[in-house]
Amino acid sequence: MAMKQPKPQYERDLIVEVDDLVVKFQVRGVSGQQTIIPVDHVHFSIRKGEVLSLVGESGSGKSTIGRSLVRILRPSGGTIRINGNDITSIRGKELKGYRKDAQMIFQDPFSSLNPVKTVEKHLTFPLKKHQGFKGKELSQKVGELLQKVGLTPVNEIRTKFPHELSGGQRQRLAIARALAVNPKFVVADEPISMLDVSIRAGILQLMNELKNDFGLSYLYITHDLASARYFGDRIMVMYGGKVMELADSKELIKLPLHPYTRLLLAATPGSHIDMNLTDQSNEPPNLAIDRKGCPFAFRCPSATDICREEMPSLQNKSQTGEHFVACHHSL
Amino acid sequence: MSNNNQQQPAPVLELRNVSVGYESAHGMVQAVRNVSLKIYPNQIVGLVGESGSGKSTLGNAIMALLKNNAVLLGGEVLVQGQDVYKLNKKELRKFRWNRMSMVFQSAMNALNPVLTVEEQIADVFTYHRPAMSKKEIYDKAVALMKMVSIDPKHLKSYPHELSGGMRQRVVIAIALALEPDLVIMDEPTTALDVVVQKSILDKIKELQREKGFAVLFVSHDFSLVAELAEKVAIMYAGRFIEITDSKKLNLLERHHPYTEGLLGAIPELTAETVMIEGIPGNPPDLINLPTGCAYHPRCKYAFESCKTIHPVEKNVDGRLIACHLYEEEVVR
Repeated sequence: MAMKQPKPQYERDLIVEVDDLVVKFQVRGVSGQQTIIPVDHVHFSIRKGEVLSLVGESGSGKSTIGRSLVRILRPSGGTIRINGNDITSIRGKELKGYRKDAQMIFQDPFSSLNPVKTVEKHLTFPLKKHQGFKGKELSQKVGELLQKVGLTPVNEIRTKFPHELSGGQRQRLAIARALAVNPKFVVADEPISMLDVSIRAGILQLMNELKNDFGLSYLYITHDLASARYFGDRIMVMYGGKVMELADSKELIKLPLHPYTRLLLAATPGSHIDMNLTDQSNEPPNLAIDRKGCPFAFRCPSATDICREEMPSLQNKSQTGEHFVACHHSL
Repeated sequence: MSNNNQQQPAPVLELRNVSVGYESAHGMVQAVRNVSLKIYPNQIVGLVGESGSGKSTLGNAIMALLKNNAVLLGGEVLVQGQDVYKLNKKELRKFRWNRMSMVFQSAMNALNPVLTVEEQIADVFTYHRPAMSKKEIYDKAVALMKMVSIDPKHLKSYPHELSGGMRQRVVIAIALALEPDLVIMDEPTTALDVVVQKSILDKIKELQREKGFAVLFVSHDFSLVAELAEKVAIMYAGRFIEITDSKKLNLLERHHPYTEGLLGAIPELTAETVMIEGIPGNPPDLINLPTGCAYHPRCKYAFESCKTIHPVEKNVDGRLIACHLYEEEVVR
């Protein structure tokens, strides 16, 4: 059921505006061909220089949204505007041009780099192609980028191949490559989840630094509420393709209004919420296109009949600021 | 089945100066170096380290499951007083699973894709309890499924028909089938979603309290281990650099600089302001280990002795810490 959700307030300093975004996939299930809807009429926006953390479990649609925003994937419906330009279904030259504005950092730095290219080659390609650098300037620019992301000594690193780098160094290279086109907006899809604990903080710090230095905006996709709160200005919690809650990071952790956010918090080590998890919490969300009601209803401790019938709309529950929640029974 | 009622305080697992290496073309990879630890009945001990710290190798070494090129270079592994490396092949096969069992990281790989859950559970009993009848085995399988909160109708399912969390529950049920004294869990929840992870950890805690087996819980996730385990051993470059009470794992206490670094690298969920700082550098090359303390190239407190002299464990406020900072004898 397509519910009209309230649009976020439009402001002039928005870089990303997502309106009624829908992504559908055809999958072959047990009962033959089936259409699923991993992103189900989603609205949100990101301000210039802002980090929006997108939190959810597998099957929440968080990566699909990230992929739609950088247009590796073509949405089935709705509009995505970047800097006011509609990029929802651009193609060809226009799409190529768009790559300059939006870049993506992937989860696995072991498969997102080309094993037969040197570090230098990874960076010269986008610099030449999108920025038109040549010769000495090009080589100088590569050095600057490597320095910027902390891959030093620069001249030693340049000639190395990805297999000669550690996980953290590879992720730094992936970040440098994303920066090479001078983007305005970066989608970071679980950039630290495959790295060792001692390395993670360094990558988060680097992304934070770059945000301040270049005025970058991020969509930071993660399953970890602690890092979402550390890096994100706001947190958006998704479940089964729907936005459950969207609020300022600190407020969302301190005062979660949605039962799903509370469940996630209770499952995160070091949280103040203690909650007994029921046994059905093991099942993945139903993404079938003909589902009804709130996708979280079957796992929700406070679900009633209306939850199973009707998807609640996303409503602002804050008197002073913005704290959106989609729940029939929110606090 | 267990007869651990002789001297209560006898450890279930005792590691005495265990060293394990991997033979490689470039030399011996020193994965585990001179490690000692005791785990008592009813205790959950966490083993934390980054990739390449030797934590999984140690887990496999305890089970005597070292792969072809891995060798036990020295030391003893005693499970209920029995040195597992003194058992012959046949005895070892009986000993494993009866007295000690293991839960592997990837539940998909640990289960056989072409056998039903029931067949895989029954397999344990047909080998270890040949006297049991088919009916008894089936009843036991149903009980095990109920124990890990899975509907017994899934006994007829194949692993691919189950969700990741259910598969890991099945693996846990198989590990506990013979009621062993010691269960080694090697990153049992790493590939799972946070909520599923939490429900599995709650289950492990509940079963552990009920049955009283001892657990060695291997993980890279510091905050998770700190919540689950009573005692935590922190591994770096194949050594225990600190063994501590998990309640003491905070920055108010004195720690090994590596532990301190890890604690400072994790963003706290509920603190008012969050400050994090990474540890510079990368984990060491295990073939050419740094001299002295293996952590010294990354340590912000390192001084001369750290580069040359190997630190020994010292008792600091009831914790074992291997660091020159806590040794008065060494002249700075």
